Amino acid sequence: MTSGAESITAEPRWRQLLAYLTPDRRRVFYAFGAAILVFVVGELLHPGFASAESVKAILVIASFVGFVAAGQTFVILIGGIDLSVPWVLNAAAILLVTTSLGRDGRAAQAVLLTLALGLATGLLNGVGIAYFAVPAVVMTLGMNGIMEGLSLGLSKGLTCSSCASYAPPAVQDVVRTDVAGVPADLLLWLGITIMITFLLSATTFGRRIYAIGNNETASFLAGISVRVVTVALYMLSGLFAALAGIVLVGYGGQATLGMGDPYLFQSIAACVIGGISILGGRGHYLGTVAGSITLVALVSVLLAENMPDWGRSVVYGVSILFILLLYGRERRQL
Amino acid sequence: MTTAAETRPYRSRSRLQHFMIQSAPLLLALIILAGMGVLYVVLFYRQLSRFPGNFEWTSVVNTSMPLVFAGVGQSIVVLTRGLDLSVGGMIDLANGLAATHMHSGAGSMLGWSLLVLLVGAAGGAINGVLVAYGRLQPILVTLATLSIYQGLAIKVLPEPGGAVPIEYTKILANPNGPTSLVFVGFIAVVWFVFRRTRLGVDVYAIGNDEEAARAHGVRVRTIKIAAYVLSGMFAAAAGLFLAATTTSGDATSGDVFVLTSIAAVVLGGISFFGGRGNAVGTVAGAFVLTLLINVLFFANIDPLYQSFFQGLFLIVAVLLGTLIRRLVGLRG
Repeated sequence: MTSGAESITAEPRWRQLLAYLTPDRRRVFYAFGAAILVFVVGELLHPGFASAESVKAILVIASFVGFVAAGQTFVILIGGIDLSVPWVLNAAAILLVTTSLGRDGRAAQAVLLTLALGLATGLLNGVGIAYFAVPAVVMTLGMNGIMEGLSLGLSKGLTCSSCASYAPPAVQDVVRTDVAGVPADLLLWLGITIMITFLLSATTFGRRIYAIGNNETASFLAGISVRVVTVALYMLSGLFAALAGIVLVGYGGQATLGMGDPYLFQSIAACVIGGISILGGRGHYLGTVAGSITLVALVSVLLAENMPDWGRSVVYGVSILFILLLYGRERRQL
Repeated sequence: MTTAAETRPYRSRSRLQHFMIQSAPLLLALIILAGMGVLYVVLFYRQLSRFPGNFEWTSVVNTSMPLVFAGVGQSIVVLTRGLDLSVGGMIDLANGLAATHMHSGAGSMLGWSLLVLLVGAAGGAINGVLVAYGRLQPILVTLATLSIYQGLAIKVLPEPGGAVPIEYTKILANPNGPTSLVFVGFIAVVWFVFRRTRLGVDVYAIGNDEEAARAHGVRVRTIKIAAYVLSGMFAAAAGLFLAATTTSGDATSGDVFVLTSIAAVVLGGISFFGGRGNAVGTVAGAFVLTLLINVLFFANIDPLYQSFFQGLFLIVAVLLGTLIRRLVGLRG
């Protein structure tokens, strides 16, 4: 407790800065610090790890996690979770190649159709959770199964004649070509990051998200249509999973079965490393961006170390625990 | 929002009414199980013009056992309002240890079984300490330890293979008769006792209201650790049953149990918000999930669509549960 009026007028600059750096904002910096640390350690172990080319490659892979984690960020901010991302992503990838058949002329409508698929699954998730009170874990788990079954069944286990199609060159270019020395995919990620940051910090919709995450009942009593916002956020999550599917199929060229599986745990881990509270109401997408980069850079270092599979899996888990213990702890109770 | 049923004084409900309301989710789980059983028999008869016999029922029981154990362990954690995603990794690890180290001979089988259960308890204790003393969210802790236990399992058994003694299979997953039902009975009896022990009551108390439980002298941290230790041990037991059923090992075969154990718990009528439900319901839920796969097979449904129907069934079952609970006036 600072005393009186003079301290308000003559607040030292460092104290203003400290007041600006709330614990939530500090976590974003910690997350970027962790990312830089991983690159420094990588460069020490393998000179060239932090070279421009290597960083660029790592950032592109991190962007895939970042896209999925964008949707996950939205639903985690209201205390929810989306377990349906792996097969929404995979279904999106399959839908894109089977409807575009690798032709640029059909690329635009295929992309729109794919994004609509993501929105539709998100709509179903959101309605089940918000209007029928199905727990988010159960609803999205069930939806993951539904999308898996539909993807496998309708594509006959990815053996259908159009399933082997490549992504349209236009879509591949988004990931593979550079614009002014920067991969177009990273510019897309930058644009999305700016949009989400604006949405969360500077719009009433964003403020409503945080309000619901902190206290759903109070938000309802304050006149926020909690159900509508919930449905909208799950739709965004579906949209971003579908977007990740499109970008991923552009990167790899073809759709494969199980291509979405790693992205469930990675998207959640990226949010958590980025300082987003799994209980909702706290955190920022900028943190998630840092979390995605940290995670992918860490995996790259372990790969460069030629660490066997089992060792990578263990180090991966231990690192997440370590980061959690550093700043993911809840307040002491009584 | 207050209906007549809710404002009525507590005493005016008869014992039977009270029992019915308390056990509605469990009863629903058993009704779903019965319905699924009937559906299975009908479809089986339509396809083969005979009723499922000893062989078919034995196979249903034996394939269900790993899920029964994984689900019961998960139930205890969910009752404390937690979640254990690491069961998948622990099943992998137990499965791998059994397949690589166990030899025929009573000493080896018993010794390794106990050792594997101890490993499960240790893994659970790590989860529990991180949740209780580390003050971390259960879903995050067990997400990280899932990765760690999966890694250790691959270290133990890098490629699918190994073998468990044939005698071990005969004891845990006898192919000649559904003798494994003994273990199901054992779980039911243990649960009946557990529910009435100090530990059992405390687990439910934490799930219902952690602050109130703490204020009443429940040692919340100790009980939480105990819940995760039990979950780890049950997951290890599930790994042993899986090894016995498949007679060999695979360090990734346990991964599916992360999601199916949660599905069994949900179908068993255990509330995700903690403090409500009965592990016997989870046992029923595990059998329902196994029967569902058989039903889909005999309904001539393309196996590729299997997860579609599993997912749909899970959501519909939960919607049904919510609907019935609202009808009998029990909230949550």
